[in-house]
Amino acid sequence: MAVKEDRELISSAKDIINQLSIILRTANIHSPSNIAVTTAIEKYIALLNPLIKSEQSILLELIGEFFYINSMRIRYSLDYLINFNFLVREFKKREIGSVIFKDFMNPRDLQTFLKAFIESGFSDTPYDTMSEGIDALSSIKIDRLKKIKEGEDVDTNTRKIIKKTYFTAVAYIEGLFSKIEAGERVNIKKSKRIVEAMVDRLLDEEQLLIGMTAIKDYDEYTYYHMVNVSILSIALGQRLGLNKKLLAVLGITAIFHDIGKIGTPYEILNKPSSLTDDEWKIMKRHPIGGVRAILKLRGFDSTAIRSAIVSFEHHIHNDFSGYPSVSNYMDLDLYSKIVCIADQYDAMTSSRVYSRIPIPPDKAISIMMERSGTQLDPVLLKFFINMIGVFPIGTLVMLDTKELGLVFESNEVMGDRPKVVIVIDSNGNRLKGPVVSLAQKDETGRYLRTIVKTLDPNKYNINLAEYLL
Amino acid sequence: MELTEDKDIKVVKELLQKLIKAKKTLRMYPQGNPIYVKTLEDLYTRFKSFFDYQDELTLKIGQNTIVYDSEQIYYNPEKEDNMALFLFKDGIKEITFKKELLQEELEEFLKVIVVDFDREKDKMSEDDMVTLLWEKDFQNIQYVVDETFLMDEIDEDYERKAVTSVKGRGTDVESLQRAYADGLEGMVKDEKKVSIMPPAFEEIQMLGSEMEKDSSDKMEKLITILFEVFSHAEGKDDLEDSIMFLKDIIRFSLTHGDIHTVINALGKVKSILDDSFTTDEAKKYMKMLFVYIGTEEIINLLGALLDSSSGVDEDILKRFTDFLDKDAIAPLVKILGDLKTIRARKSIIETLITIGGKDMQKLAAQLNDSRWYVVRNIVFILRRIGDKRAVDYLLKTMSHRDIRVRKEVIRTLGEMNGQGALQSLSECLDDSNVEIRIASARAIGNIGTDAAKKILIEKVSQKQFKDRDFNEKKEVYEILSRWKDADVLDYLAGILKKKSFFGMGRNYEDMACAAFCLGLVGNKEVLPLLYKFSDVNNKLLREVSQIAIKRLELGR
Ligand SMILES: [Fe+2]
Ligand SMILES: [Fe+2]
Repeated sequence: MAVKEDRELISSAKDIINQLSIILRTANIHSPSNIAVTTAIEKYIALLNPLIKSEQSILLELIGEFFYINSMRIRYSLDYLINFNFLVREFKKREIGSVIFKDFMNPRDLQTFLKAFIESGFSDTPYDTMSEGIDALSSIKIDRLKKIKEGEDVDTNTRKIIKKTYFTAVAYIEGLFSKIEAGERVNIKKSKRIVEAMVDRLLDEEQLLIGMTAIKDYDEYTYYHMVNVSILSIALGQRLGLNKKLLAVLGITAIFHDIGKIGTPYEILNKPSSLTDDEWKIMKRHPIGGVRAILKLRGFDSTAIRSAIVSFEHHIHNDFSGYPSVSNYMDLDLYSKIVCIADQYDAMTSSRVYSRIPIPPDKAISIMMERSGTQLDPVLLKFFINMIGVFPIGTLVMLDTKELGLVFESNEVMGDRPKVVIVIDSNGNRLKGPVVSLAQKDETGRYLRTIVKTLDPNKYNINLAEYLL
Repeated sequence: MELTEDKDIKVVKELLQKLIKAKKTLRMYPQGNPIYVKTLEDLYTRFKSFFDYQDELTLKIGQNTIVYDSEQIYYNPEKEDNMALFLFKDGIKEITFKKELLQEELEEFLKVIVVDFDREKDKMSEDDMVTLLWEKDFQNIQYVVDETFLMDEIDEDYERKAVTSVKGRGTDVESLQRAYADGLEGMVKDEKKVSIMPPAFEEIQMLGSEMEKDSSDKMEKLITILFEVFSHAEGKDDLEDSIMFLKDIIRFSLTHGDIHTVINALGKVKSILDDSFTTDEAKKYMKMLFVYIGTEEIINLLGALLDSSSGVDEDILKRFTDFLDKDAIAPLVKILGDLKTIRARKSIIETLITIGGKDMQKLAAQLNDSRWYVVRNIVFILRRIGDKRAVDYLLKTMSHRDIRVRKEVIRTLGEMNGQGALQSLSECLDDSNVEIRIASARAIGNIGTDAAKKILIEKVSQKQFKDRDFNEKKEVYEILSRWKDADVLDYLAGILKKKSFFGMGRNYEDMACAAFCLGLVGNKEVLPLLYKFSDVNNKLLREVSQIAIKRLELGR
């Protein structure tokens, strides 16, 4: 029956990726002839061959952050996360975009594939090494990772869609909060749809949407902050393997995390100087105010409950050093820990939330690293930094080529080699582009450009929107 | 197989009709029901045979129409039962089913569209149809949603305005050059060689167990938070809010059959009240919760829960009712008469036995309930409580219009005795109803005092007693025989010895009763007297005497 076969394919598909990852990790430690490796290979063949028989061939593709098998996106859960992530990185490192298995596999072919894969890891031109290594095989073929040509912008249409999603969300949230402030009843169903759209965009174009959060100079930043924290939280949740439904709930809780600030005087929220003790006292009430606002607004449906929890906990901190103080308390909610990280990052890098002087994104990351294990959950923070990069989008960087650039897109495999938009060339001329990848090398295998130092874009009034939007 | 255009349209039309029918059918039958299964399989077969020669099926949705391949295949101008409108309302403009459609997917799709979003209950749901479809994340069902539904709420021009405004602040060349100059200064490679470490395996495992834990119910956490919020309260409004939320949670949880949550919350309330650091003001508010759970609103919910198929475990119920105070008595009595299952009524009776003792007056006041069966239950409860102060109230209920209540009262008075009970019971011995007479005789026997004995002997001696039915007489004599003392012995023996001036028939009955009871009293001294009657002509007296003799001889 077709139904049954399809279901089998789905469950084997996960294993195809998982097992490949396991073989590669095993082969990294042991020699290819080691029993651990040969057993793993045999297992893998036993998995592949029946599928090749029914499907003719197995095409394993890496598109964005996801694997596809025969054009079907493979969703993974946390059990698979570490192996999936490993494989994504190893593929990206070698610029492998796809592997196709056809005909019946035999152990010898797979051994050859493994050998080439491992060797290419040490090569300066990994894809070519890999390609040469398996050239003789007819049963396994690879293809290069499809990517946007260097120096060229991403598909403008995609950018348009991302921007539309982003601004629709902000516009909607602004409207929603004005209504709430005016004491009107609001319809939560629509905010769910807004968040769902963001989740969809994050699944396709994570870095682009994260990039949208880098611009902090908007008027009415409060609403942008809500959307940004939501985007960063969903993105982090996605890295943890949360399913779509959970991501949407997480996104909603994140959007409402500061709802308790409704009613806080505008002068305090937007005060250009530091807050007095009394003003801080008022400010610190917002987590509790949020619990009350959410419950009054939405009752006790499960999303409302989670929102109330996140509102209450997002400033408590992992070590309970924050506020409000609590007496009989259990652990913090996972969502609260996620939102706390996203909130800190967005708040620190913008000028109007808490810190009156914005901190450059790379500096914010360093500060957050210092808080690992105290204020912030260390594991979640690792995932977050992996996602955002040590040189997050919007970081102003000086390159060894005497070019000045802004980080445009982070590089997950090589954190210190993101994509950068050049704003001043080596002759000191002002530019707007091109976008270059710092992972690019010349013929001798040397990197074309390397970051030598970072600068504070706020110090120079650099308007990120001009370059990133 | 090539099909003509027309045939194709016809096939899709029929398929759509099947789909609409399935939407109705699946709503009526539970999953796994044969009709449910068959409907689903039939529909799936239709899809499959369509996909034999087509790769996908795209339906374009209008307000009143559904179009396939530029042909209108559905039209309905009505508001009710309009498939097009149903989809259109939530912004769905197009649905595509792909060749690879799985039966599971079709079933999940149907599960979403059978939800009646107009029904009050479903209106409360936080999800609309698009959200439900979205959460299913179908591989082979795609849909196009028009998000213009948002446009009535937001400024269409928002993006342009925001971008123009934010870009408008343009970077000035001078600052940029300054940045460049600062950048060039000291172009030594930063020591900041940062490597991003991916999380270690153990860390991911830890995260995994945390995520598992995270999927648990969050209500308890919310309650913890509300108590924290309460402790941070800065004024009357804050305190009132917290209490209101906790009340809401209690009501919400009970409505959803979750009594555990309520018990946990109340446990916390109790420990706050017991805490010597709690201020009097805070205590005042916390106590409101205990009052709240005893209100009709909550007790009614409890009743519904008890009556439900899942019921409530005895121990669990006890833990809940232990928090109730006397104010709950009236609402409990009220639902006692409304409950449908015996199990539920029993539970409430047990509860009232516990709580009723806290305020006898409140419970006794319920004896005025208009429902006789409720009154009878309360009498039973009073008896089980066993507090003599209830006698006064019971005596007033003696004259209840329903005999079943009166019997219960009489029995209760017998077990409790108490001031005035005996007097009242003895009056009942002359009641026109035989059941009442017997019940009160038993009750008097139960009291068992000398005074009680005296009353019974007196009653049995009266002329009008002789005229009672034999069975009644036998019953009363038997009760009398519980006193195994000289008074009773002499009295019974006296009956056997006495010459009768009355009709002989009735006399034999009395004598037989006396003989039988002598056997019960168990004193062998009366054997010679009984022997005299062991061969009399009257069959009843003879046989009864023989039984009594045997009993005494065997010493049973
Ligand atoms: Fe906050
Ligand atoms: Fe915030």
